[in-house]
Amino acid sequence: MATVAQLPVERARAPRPRAGLRRRLGADWHLGYLFVLPMAIMVIALVAYPFCYAAYLSLTRKYVGVPPVFVGFENYVRLAYDGFFRRAVWNSFVFTFASVGVKLVLGMVMALVLTSRIRYSLFTGLLLIPWVAPTVVSALNFLWIFDASLGVLNYLLVKVFRILPQGVGWLSEAGTAMASVIFVNVWRGFPFFGISFLAGLKAIPGELYEAASVDGANIVQRFRHVTLPSLRNIIIVVMLLSTIWTFNDFAIVYILTKGGPGGATQVLPVFTYEMAFGAQRLGEAIAVALYMLPALAMVIIVLSRYMRRSHAR
Amino acid sequence: MTTDPRLRGIAAELDAGLIARREFLRKSAILTGGTAAGLAVLRGMASAQPKTKLRVWLFKSYVTGGNDILAKHVEAWAKERNVEPEFDWATFGDREQKFVAAIEAGNPPDVAEMNYQGPMRYKAALRDETKLAKDLAAARGGLLPYAARVVQFNGQYFGIARLAFGGGLHVRKDVLAEKGLKLPKVYDPDVIEVAKKCQDPSKDIWGFGQTLNRCDDGNGFMQNILWDYGGGAWDKDGKPALATSNLKANMAALQFAVDTIQKHKIQPPGVMGWNDASNNEAYMAGKLVSTNNGASLYYAMGAKKHPLFEKTQVILTPGGPAGSFVFAGAYNWGVFQKSRYHELAEDMIRWVEDEKRFEEYMKACSGQAGPVYKSRAEHPYWKSDPNYEGMLQNIMRSVWPGYPGPISPAAIEVQAQYMLCDMAGRMVTAGLSLEAALKEAHGRVEEVYKIRGGK
Repeated sequence: MATVAQLPVERARAPRPRAGLRRRLGADWHLGYLFVLPMAIMVIALVAYPFCYAAYLSLTRKYVGVPPVFVGFENYVRLAYDGFFRRAVWNSFVFTFASVGVKLVLGMVMALVLTSRIRYSLFTGLLLIPWVAPTVVSALNFLWIFDASLGVLNYLLVKVFRILPQGVGWLSEAGTAMASVIFVNVWRGFPFFGISFLAGLKAIPGELYEAASVDGANIVQRFRHVTLPSLRNIIIVVMLLSTIWTFNDFAIVYILTKGGPGGATQVLPVFTYEMAFGAQRLGEAIAVALYMLPALAMVIIVLSRYMRRSHAR
Repeated sequence: MTTDPRLRGIAAELDAGLIARREFLRKSAILTGGTAAGLAVLRGMASAQPKTKLRVWLFKSYVTGGNDILAKHVEAWAKERNVEPEFDWATFGDREQKFVAAIEAGNPPDVAEMNYQGPMRYKAALRDETKLAKDLAAARGGLLPYAARVVQFNGQYFGIARLAFGGGLHVRKDVLAEKGLKLPKVYDPDVIEVAKKCQDPSKDIWGFGQTLNRCDDGNGFMQNILWDYGGGAWDKDGKPALATSNLKANMAALQFAVDTIQKHKIQPPGVMGWNDASNNEAYMAGKLVSTNNGASLYYAMGAKKHPLFEKTQVILTPGGPAGSFVFAGAYNWGVFQKSRYHELAEDMIRWVEDEKRFEEYMKACSGQAGPVYKSRAEHPYWKSDPNYEGMLQNIMRSVWPGYPGPISPAAIEVQAQYMLCDMAGRMVTAGLSLEAALKEAHGRVEEVYKIRGGK
């Protein structure tokens, strides 16, 4: 078996890289292409072609029912100067990072509680309900809950518990509207964090905690030096997925506020939708959607690098 | 009466004594039985032929009684013409999305019920139906001016006018009577005074419910109030005018709209978070003294035998210093170019627009099926309920998007993107000054005007 030290020498001796590859793949290496072909066709047809066509359309002026007209980067340049678009970008980041941050904390609390002495499977099931319920149903329920005049939240706060003298317009003020949509996203998403962390926690050997206790570590120190490092990869993966999902979340914001009032909760997916079906400028709508790519790519790159680094350690 | 020549032949043979009576009976039985069996087979084959399928998209309004009647009419037509209709219902929430998706996929319906945006937005995919539209209009005394603006461009008709949504200010007449107040005619000061005198915030009862949020109700009100004060988003030439030639009037109108919430405090606290259904719910819950709405609210109260049905008066939408204007909600039929059965589609339109059938539909709609043709405006139905009178008058003075200029793709887009609502919303929730909100909105309108090539 080749040692790590020998590998570079072998590579240097190889006459041609292609021949080396063939040797490694074996005599029937041609078959490899055949096996990969169906997947390659599927990826090209279902991912690459639609993406490339969308990228092309984003460079055109495309109205409904008429052929596209190539305009280069005009759509992207125009959007860069659009105040409502810039606000949507900012709102998207606020919505995403606030939601993911709170979900991370709540998810961790949920997992820790469920691994502690309270091991009720009933609670696990109950806490999963928000994650299992369809987003549209949840959002419509919260639309009613947040209703200033007829909603149950104001009813409880004003009439039952008498905490407030008057109802709050949860969806009618810029600050409360953003907080409300974040709250619904958190409510819906934190069980995913919790259940993922719970799986990770159960995989941590008990000996580690015992050893830490013997060394005199208190509960906070055990959490910091045993639990968190053991969960690092799960936390990264869950945060990565949740960031992508939250950034692309359309239903909650659209149903609750439609981006209002006055664009205060306008996020990029809703902006894309309105550009496509409201303005019916399809080229620009796709340009809005593609504007999200670099930001998402950045998040993915940063988190996956971090994950690889922790693997290397 | 004709007789089968073969039967005549064997009858002649019997008469001539060439065949026996029994033989005659046997042959005639075979002939008649065979013919009957053959006819039955042919009839079976004919009915087994697949019927022509016509894809029909209808609008599912909140007035469900009207939806049922319309579907019944189309089904009756289909039965008469041996056609199989394929229904699809579009709602306020998904109509435009469905049109965009179907047109872009190259698979639009044969015929569809569209709103005021349809003819302008989808004319590239619609058939020019000038002849049919003119025929129907001529037989009904001609189109009302606002409807003519919505369905035809440069003399070509891309929509066949059907109806306009009636509506008006729904007022609690019992509350006004109790306070000894008259019905309001203008927003300032009538609506404000009535609202202030009738509301009781401690009981969560508010004088006026009218959102400025991003929805059709907010859009309609913002558009109307700008016109009422002599302003608007467009000038006579169809150029953007929010912060230019119409600036002064628009400032007054926008200030009034925002004042109903911030200064006069006649609106419920959460009104800026409302959608199209919120004012209906609040009114029916007894939380509002007055609200602008389509006839669907009046219909819903009637259909549910709601106690407020008898206590509600629907009146003309109040006006402002320049008069009282209402945004036209004209609905129409569109026949798509891709349809292989456009003649059938046209025949269906003629059928459902037949005056007797439309009358049945109109009566089921509780004021929502307003007139687009002059003769329909004179129908006695509109005098059968005092509330219908207000709805009719609102429709008669309707104007089109883009008024006082022409209807244009840019004018439609400004509506569809809720730019006028955003203008008010930015003042109320983001604290923008009057001038800044108007300037920002004007910039957006101008951008749309440029993108649409100055049209």
